[in-house]
Amino acid sequence: MASKIFMGDIPELMEIILNNLNGEFKSLYSCALVSRHWCKIAIPILWRDPFSFDQKPMFISRYFSSLNEEDKFIVESYGLNIDFPNTLFYYAKFLKILNLLCLMDKVEKWIQFKIFGSQERITLNTVRDNITNLLFKLFVESGATLSKLDFDISNFTIKPKVFYSLGKNDHFFSKLQDIIISVETESDFLNIEENDTLLRILAKKATKVYTLKLDLFDYILKPRLYRALANIIKSQEHLRRFELSCEEGLQSEFYGVISALESQRYTLQEIKLDNCAYSTEFNVLKNCDKLEELHILNCEEEELLKVLDTDFCHISTLEICSYSIDASILIPILENLGIFLQRLKLYSDNQEIYTQQLLRTLMIFCPNLTYLYISFIKFSDQLLKFINSLRKLQFLTLSLIDNGSNDIVKIHVMQLAKILPLTLQYLDLEINWSCPHIDILLRHCDAPLKKLIISKDPDEKKIIDALIGFCVRKKSLIYVNIGRFWILNNFNNNYLNNLKKNLEVYIKLVPYECIIVNC
Amino acid sequence: MDNGTSNSASENETITLKSCDGIEFHIDARIANRYTLLNNWNGGESACIPNVNGKVLEKVLEWCEHHINDPQLNCGDDDSRRRNTIIEEWDENFLSCDQDMLFEIILAANYLEIKPLLDLGCKTVANMMKSKSPEEIRSAFNIDNDYTPEEEEQFRKENEWAEDY
Repeated sequence: MASKIFMGDIPELMEIILNNLNGEFKSLYSCALVSRHWCKIAIPILWRDPFSFDQKPMFISRYFSSLNEEDKFIVESYGLNIDFPNTLFYYAKFLKILNLLCLMDKVEKWIQFKIFGSQERITLNTVRDNITNLLFKLFVESGATLSKLDFDISNFTIKPKVFYSLGKNDHFFSKLQDIIISVETESDFLNIEENDTLLRILAKKATKVYTLKLDLFDYILKPRLYRALANIIKSQEHLRRFELSCEEGLQSEFYGVISALESQRYTLQEIKLDNCAYSTEFNVLKNCDKLEELHILNCEEEELLKVLDTDFCHISTLEICSYSIDASILIPILENLGIFLQRLKLYSDNQEIYTQQLLRTLMIFCPNLTYLYISFIKFSDQLLKFINSLRKLQFLTLSLIDNGSNDIVKIHVMQLAKILPLTLQYLDLEINWSCPHIDILLRHCDAPLKKLIISKDPDEKKIIDALIGFCVRKKSLIYVNIGRFWILNNFNNNYLNNLKKNLEVYIKLVPYECIIVNC
Repeated sequence: MDNGTSNSASENETITLKSCDGIEFHIDARIANRYTLLNNWNGGESACIPNVNGKVLEKVLEWCEHHINDPQLNCGDDDSRRRNTIIEEWDENFLSCDQDMLFEIILAANYLEIKPLLDLGCKTVANMMKSKSPEEIRSAFNIDNDYTPEEEEQFRKENEWAEDY
């Protein structure tokens, strides 16, 4: 007899199970065909984000059956050969994720297939834009409630009828949790009026957003649109994450968008800034009492970091990626963060920044690190002492520079292996952009590593023997990536086959994206 | 980040749990506190766990014990960046039990509100469905097809786009 989970007694469990298949269109299709009950649960998941489907977007035809008569007439007037049969479900209402650019792109592809039945693409901007608007309006009026919206401020024209529907259907944006707003930089011009109206509607209707991401925030935006973006921030009840990614060239004028974060000071937990110059607007971050994570990528970090120089700053995750980092700026910040800091990533493009004083500061003030990523660091006794002092360290990524002779490097690798904390379960190690002496590392490592990332080594026998030896001795290692960004198929066939054949009993070789742990 | 060990119970303190069929388990109090196993405790000598039999409760407690030091996620934290897409080998082996027991564990995790175990169990079941045909899924889980031929045909027609994946 089938479990009661599958028989409709506990639909919420069935939903959790099938949610794990989100994005697996074929599997969800199979599940929906199992029985009527399975169908009821699987169909809303299958139609939650159909525009991410990367094959022929023929599902679009199903939406047209739900258009009103007037809109059906409009579609027919384009000479597209479609029919409007009754459907089993009102598919439009299942939409949860809407990417407007993707919608427009899929509509264009759909038109191509309908007209030519081929993948040849021509530009039919007017028809595409009109059908995109019809579908957008259908979604708004269908009863759908979005959880994620991704839209580009571009030259796409949203029709007044859509805005009218958005004004009447509060529910469509009311449960939005994620909003991504980008700028389509290839646009010749922006439809300021339409975009401003959409942003104002979002500010009014979408007030329960957790994550707001502003992408390619650049000079082509008008101050009026910046103000509209600021209003979206101000209207939120509990914004948790804010990301701002600017066009290359360090933007320093934010027209009140950053200052608007003051309104979220009691809820904002995470901020990620990319390509931002310093502006006095960032001073509002000093007031964000709940801030736990700060990611500063390619910014003027020296000035930005000063916002952490407050007595009540309790940041537990700090990531700084930059061409070069001034250790003298960082030291007082680390002293201030002290025991609260648990995850730290310091990535420098190619400037060795780590002074002995910085390492000493980390050792004295930041003993609670569980995650550490440092690049461009010279091997030193101070580094060994620091890593050895981290009694809670679980994840370590090290990109070491060692100018010593081969024999010296061997000794250093052995010393490093011996001091790795016994709490360590993840190691991503690179020495001089490769991974020499993996045999020595694993022979002397007592940390119960579960996951290991190493560089490709031409001597596959050395890697195989080292990994097998470690697995037999420690019995902890499960997942290994060799070569980082190299996908396994790019390896020479013999190399790959040898690795797979010899290691499959002991470990699983996995792609980099499946094993990497980010800050 | 909460390391999951900050609750007030000490390592040596034990609590007695009683399954619905009367089997008693003496467990580390930290497990009971962390996984809210004491919701049904009326203050007597042992806390009763109705709806979960001894065999299943033993498995659930085994899982809780193994994961007692796992970091606790914030409520509502759906941060995919840190979500581990790999099922750990221990968990995989733990759930490599017969199907009935797997479903009982899921039901117990749901009843006891042990979300990580519930998610793990549901993910395991979902993995069993991946890339299978409807017939294979029906056969694997002993489900009857209650579609009429007409319904099935119409359903296929409306959703056949998803097959092209």
